[in-house]
Amino acid sequence: MQENAKKEGVFYKIFATILLIIPWIAYLWITTYDKAQPTLFGITFFYWYQTAWLVISSILYAIAAYLIYRGEKQ
Amino acid sequence: MIGILGWISFIIFFLLFTFLGFYGAKWRRGDLSKLHEWALAGRRLGAFLAWFLIGADVYTAYTFVAVPSGMFASGALYFYAVPYVATTFMVAMITMPRLWQWSREKGYVTAADMVEDRFKSKLLAGLVAITGIVAELPYIALQIVGMQAVLGVMLLGITSNVKLVSDIALTVSFIILAAFTFTSGLRGATLGAVLKDILIFISVISLIIIIPLKFGGFSSAFTEAQSFTSALSAKHITWLSTGITYLKPLPALEAGYTTLWIGSTFALFLYPHSINGSLSASGKKQLAISDAFLPIYGIGLALLALLGLLAYSDKAAMSLLSKFPLSSMGIYSIPALAVSSLPDWFAGVVLLGIFVGGLVPAAIMAIAQANLLTRNIIKPFKPEIKPETETRISKWASVIFKFIALGFVFIVPATYAIQLQLLGGIIILQTLPPVFLGLVTNKLNKYALMAGLISGMASGIYLVEVANKFGPLSTSLYHLGGYLIWIGILALAINLAVAIIFSLPKIIKK
Repeated sequence: MQENAKKEGVFYKIFATILLIIPWIAYLWITTYDKAQPTLFGITFFYWYQTAWLVISSILYAIAAYLIYRGEKQ
Repeated sequence: MIGILGWISFIIFFLLFTFLGFYGAKWRRGDLSKLHEWALAGRRLGAFLAWFLIGADVYTAYTFVAVPSGMFASGALYFYAVPYVATTFMVAMITMPRLWQWSREKGYVTAADMVEDRFKSKLLAGLVAITGIVAELPYIALQIVGMQAVLGVMLLGITSNVKLVSDIALTVSFIILAAFTFTSGLRGATLGAVLKDILIFISVISLIIIIPLKFGGFSSAFTEAQSFTSALSAKHITWLSTGITYLKPLPALEAGYTTLWIGSTFALFLYPHSINGSLSASGKKQLAISDAFLPIYGIGLALLALLGLLAYSDKAAMSLLSKFPLSSMGIYSIPALAVSSLPDWFAGVVLLGIFVGGLVPAAIMAIAQANLLTRNIIKPFKPEIKPETETRISKWASVIFKFIALGFVFIVPATYAIQLQLLGGIIILQTLPPVFLGLVTNKLNKYALMAGLISGMASGIYLVEVANKFGPLSTSLYHLGGYLIWIGILALAINLAVAIIFSLPKIIKK
């Protein structure tokens, strides 16, 4: 029983780590977004794509924070 | 040009802000617990309010003035601030909760306290503290430049002598900042902080919504920016050289962009003021959750950065800006947009938001410096120092630090004010091995860490000088094997190499 809980904890930590790393991969892969097209509201891809990733990053981090601090009060 | 109504609303709100600051200093003595209760009422509100308050701290002169100015003058390279904001809070999420926990258990107040305990070295802690104090200086200088930009645009309505305008603006900004930190301190700023955050959010929201709507999008801005650049290049002046619509697809520049954001990402939460802020959170979990949501605030930062380019499509703003020389034009871009597109009285409010957006962070940074000075530098020599003496020393020290910070204002052409923040970044990054690696391991040798810190710092400053040909600072990228690399990363690599190599005997022995 306790062993299962421990295993589960490790699994959650690994999963959270992956979530935390995803935005890094997105931004490090600069050749995928260093271009003008397609534009959005006249703003070039380079700018709006990186701005959109701010929102995605927050969502991923929030899930990770939830997984890491699951059950903790403080 | 801002009219009398703008001046009136600016002054009224400024007086209200200072009144709350002074009142806060007195009121606090009565009952601080009330403020605490209010701020942390219920756990859910705690995380939300923390998010709101820390979020407002993202908006400093860096966001309002330096990044837009960099975009205005150099182009896409300075959009690096966006990936930086996206990933820096991830670094905060994994480092700060542990530091918070240890601080609660062992009574640390600064990162240097942790270093001292972890590596059993007061000398190393002192070095970390000195580095922290020095790194804040150019960052404070940047805030002064931001305040100067606001006053500069306002004064332009009174006299058109630009030299006089910028001198007066700088002097007045400096005096207000020094007086503010000297008299009120962090305690006084608590009440003012709420008004400051409201003002900042009014400014951010009105700027990023009203201005783009007024000019109907960005396509014309990109075209205007291009023709402005072409006109200058006919006069052999390089302008917007890193691309307007996207980063010029040179691998050299892409490397520069990437190293800029990675380095800045690790630098932010090494700054004494950021660590102070994190340690004052109500809990580890709340801290992690508010960090997780902070990249959202980066949207405002991204849009403000783009406004640096949008300025080109606003004829009124451009005619205002053209009064300033190219070397300082950039910093006025956002204040000029505010003046040209908002009604006078409201522009005054927004300008004050940008003004306190420089003033309050500068005061918080100064207080973090004073903390380090008394706790980690003076105390080890004079452990029996009286609290009154300590307060007096830190007050006067903060005035002296202000003057040194003012010196930094003059080594960077205002348009490239972002270099001040990057210089601070290069310096503070050198504390990464003892502080962040210290959170993971204590196997490193203390002398190796000191040697690393000193060689990182020396090489960093030297490379900055070389990259700028020993002149005014306008870049912090260094050519290395066909790539442009941010000097902060190079210096950190040297630092880490020294720290790890000289620690090998200790690591192997264990």
